[in-house]
Amino acid sequence: MTRLPWPALAATALIAVLAILAPWLGLPNPVTMDVPHRLAGPSAAHWLGQDEFGRDVLTRLIWGARVSLSVAVSAAALACLIGTALGITGGYLRGIAEILTLRSIDVLLCFPPLLLALLVVTLLGPGATTLIPVLALVYLPGFTRVAYAGVLTARSQDYVEAMRVLGAGSGRIMLRTILPNIGGPVLVQFSLAMAAAVVLESGLSFLGLGVVPPAPSWGLMIGAARATMAQAPLLLLWPCLALTLTVLVMNALCDGLRDAVDPHPTYRPAARRLLDAIAPGLLPTPKAVLDLAHLTVEIDTPAGPIHPVRDVSLQVFPGETLAIVGESGSGKSVTSLAITGLLPGAAHVTEGAAFLDGTDLLRLPEESLRKLRGDKIAMVFQDPGSSLNPVHRIGAQIAEAIRAHRPLSDKAARAEAIALLRRVGLPDPDSRARAYPHELSGGQRQRVMIAIAIANHPSLLIADEPTTALDVTIQAQILELLSDLKRERGLALLFITHALPVVAEIADRVAVMYAGEIVETGPTAEVFLAPHHPYTAALLRSAPDEEGPPPVGIPGIVPPPTALPPGCTFAPRCPRAIPECTAAPPALRSAGAGRLTRCIRWNA
Amino acid sequence: MWFLRRLGISVVLVWVAASVVFLAIHLVPGDPAELLLSQGGSAPDRAMVEELRDQLGLNRPLYVQYGQQMWRLLHFDLGRSMQDDSPVSEEILRRLPRTLELILAAGLMAVVIGIPGGTAAAMRRGSVFDRATSWLASLALAIPVFVVGTLIVMVFAQWLRWVPAGGFIAFAKDPVQHLILLAMPASAIGLGLSAVMFRMTRAAVLDVMLKDYVRTARAKGVKPGRILTRHVVRTALMPVITVLALYLGTLLGGTVLVEFVFNWPGLSGSLVSAVNARDYPQVVGIVLVISVLFVGLNLTVDIIYGLLDPRVRK
Ligand code: SF4
Repeated sequence: MTRLPWPALAATALIAVLAILAPWLGLPNPVTMDVPHRLAGPSAAHWLGQDEFGRDVLTRLIWGARVSLSVAVSAAALACLIGTALGITGGYLRGIAEILTLRSIDVLLCFPPLLLALLVVTLLGPGATTLIPVLALVYLPGFTRVAYAGVLTARSQDYVEAMRVLGAGSGRIMLRTILPNIGGPVLVQFSLAMAAAVVLESGLSFLGLGVVPPAPSWGLMIGAARATMAQAPLLLLWPCLALTLTVLVMNALCDGLRDAVDPHPTYRPAARRLLDAIAPGLLPTPKAVLDLAHLTVEIDTPAGPIHPVRDVSLQVFPGETLAIVGESGSGKSVTSLAITGLLPGAAHVTEGAAFLDGTDLLRLPEESLRKLRGDKIAMVFQDPGSSLNPVHRIGAQIAEAIRAHRPLSDKAARAEAIALLRRVGLPDPDSRARAYPHELSGGQRQRVMIAIAIANHPSLLIADEPTTALDVTIQAQILELLSDLKRERGLALLFITHALPVVAEIADRVAVMYAGEIVETGPTAEVFLAPHHPYTAALLRSAPDEEGPPPVGIPGIVPPPTALPPGCTFAPRCPRAIPECTAAPPALRSAGAGRLTRCIRWNA
Repeated sequence: MWFLRRLGISVVLVWVAASVVFLAIHLVPGDPAELLLSQGGSAPDRAMVEELRDQLGLNRPLYVQYGQQMWRLLHFDLGRSMQDDSPVSEEILRRLPRTLELILAAGLMAVVIGIPGGTAAAMRRGSVFDRATSWLASLALAIPVFVVGTLIVMVFAQWLRWVPAGGFIAFAKDPVQHLILLAMPASAIGLGLSAVMFRMTRAAVLDVMLKDYVRTARAKGVKPGRILTRHVVRTALMPVITVLALYLGTLLGGTVLVEFVFNWPGLSGSLVSAVNARDYPQVVGIVLVISVLFVGLNLTVDIIYGLLDPRVRK
């Protein structure tokens, strides 16, 4: 659980304590009348004045809280008890019980809540005691649903199955395993029901269908003060204020509890921007399409900044394929997103430069960068299923990419989109252009993504795990398509993957990343033949291969960016590590023609 | 197919709802005939009560009464009021449009304020504008609707004397006055509803902005404004529409408070008096109409979903 909403909790507690202690606060009797002083303004004896019967307003406000909260708590508790029980029974026993509980709840949901309350109250007659079952009935469905959903989730978990196999009775399983699991959501539901019950109680009392006079209730007070609002407007204001503040506080509590139960990362705007000045000596490598120099990315986390990419430099030349290979968490995708300026909100580049044909992408204003994206620099992402917008036809999505950069008519763009679909090998492109993404297979969707990427003849294509979500035969076809396009259009391809067989098939050069750094680069064939870094070697041994010995997994795990080991980041898993390895982080060093390695023992 | 199935479920739900109401109201003590005849305050004559009960068919066994009622409902006949023998449908038809008008006006206000506001706040996430509007929304959500209504009356009718304190004038008679009288209760409801729309829109837009296909659109170099309208808002609006529809449905019965505050002669207000008089056909009629609308609204939401998102239709 994350932080609890302390301020809201404290404020709620304060209101609750006032309500509970009302009889012992030395306040005047809330129902004692003093007709001669009716509607008297604030005085020393009556801080907030007196109402239309001369009763003390402050007392009635505090006693009103007592009535309001006790009704709300009892109703929420009753609804919680019955609703949760129904939900658990329905979810756990399934079959008839499930149908009975859930469908009967559905019937309750056929009535708008206030209508339901109104119906029951008018039938049973007003009064605080009828209010409780009425409100409970209204909030019952919420609890049942939450509990039911919780049970369904818990059921599918292994330990519940395990307990069943061990012969635990249904009742015990429910109590021991399921209740703690749904505690959080039910608590949230409880606070919601309570806040809503306060509102509904006051509303019904306002209509004269809730708490019966002379008992104090905020709703009643507001209703009564309406008659005298010309003479004593304050009388109306106090209960309105009390009610609104209470609901405000309780709503804040609900929101806070919900966040605590179901945490989602809070967003903070990036604090620092990349230094505007380029470090001296940082000049683009001639002829490279992309020249990435000393890229460092920072992510703000609640525990402090982390650096998923550190000092990454690489070049891609025209007509060349460079593969970045690494396990998940190595920083390879973050690198590609940083180049294109698509990093998510909390991440930002702190150092480095990325020259595309001589222009530093990292220092371009967003609008200029936008004009390059999809035009000179294009991307293909891992999951073609979620990367295409489900509600637009694929032809329109390709045409959109074309028209974002070229002033073409809608018709011309559509014609081009069909031509592109034909080029990427989608069968029957004329009619498929009118299909929605969900009507295509995974491989076809990736072809569409590629069509989008090449729509404006980019000079650099970044493909981030483009084949990972596809099955093997489709993988081969997509790789072939990418190689063909590269040859045909002379584009530079930056290929990001975790799969070595894919690297072998497509890449001219390879850069191996580990824990946010490049640990080895070189021509693919040479690196595969004779790796100069123990991590590359281990990666090669762990890759599945048709012949040869079965793959050997790498022991240990990639260190998380929050806990990087000192010195060489691979040291904890390295079979060749020596004490010097942990002394200082090794630098990338030249290891033969066109090859770099970040290992001090590469030639030892 | 999915459509027919949903329709079938809805019809069953409405039937069950009608039966539940019928049974509930008969099981609770209170005799309509007696209530009708005792209007002067004096105890009614036994013989007269018996005669009236016979006339109204109240002496027949419950299942016969139930059967008759259901049979009539099948023919879209809601029966006649026990109080003045006028057709129930007449009263409902007179009052329902007023309640619907109120709800639609409030919904319109919520859409006009909440959706652009929520989108703007999401786009400037974390900014002063975002924090200020979010805070305002919390406040608006915390003020119960009858408090807003009462305060509106106090400020605009009592102090400023700009408007009458409430009431209803037919549009045909005096359009301007009609709209003024409509605006007050509508904004009382619309305030909280706008806050709901604001929050939903903000959350939904933020959610959609993280989607892969929005990243694809950015990778394509599409202009931010176009990304917002074509890729973000359209998807983000689906949950928002659902919530709006559900809220409007809840309001079908929930306008009673505002109708009371502003003397608006709508449908939900008449339900209270009908229950008090134990006017069975009237109560069942009103409840049935409201729950048909309520369930129908939910069904419409599903259909809109199907139109907006081609995946649902499968
Ligand atoms: S520097 Fe040392 S620990 Fe790191 S890879 Fe080389 S041998 Fe292993």
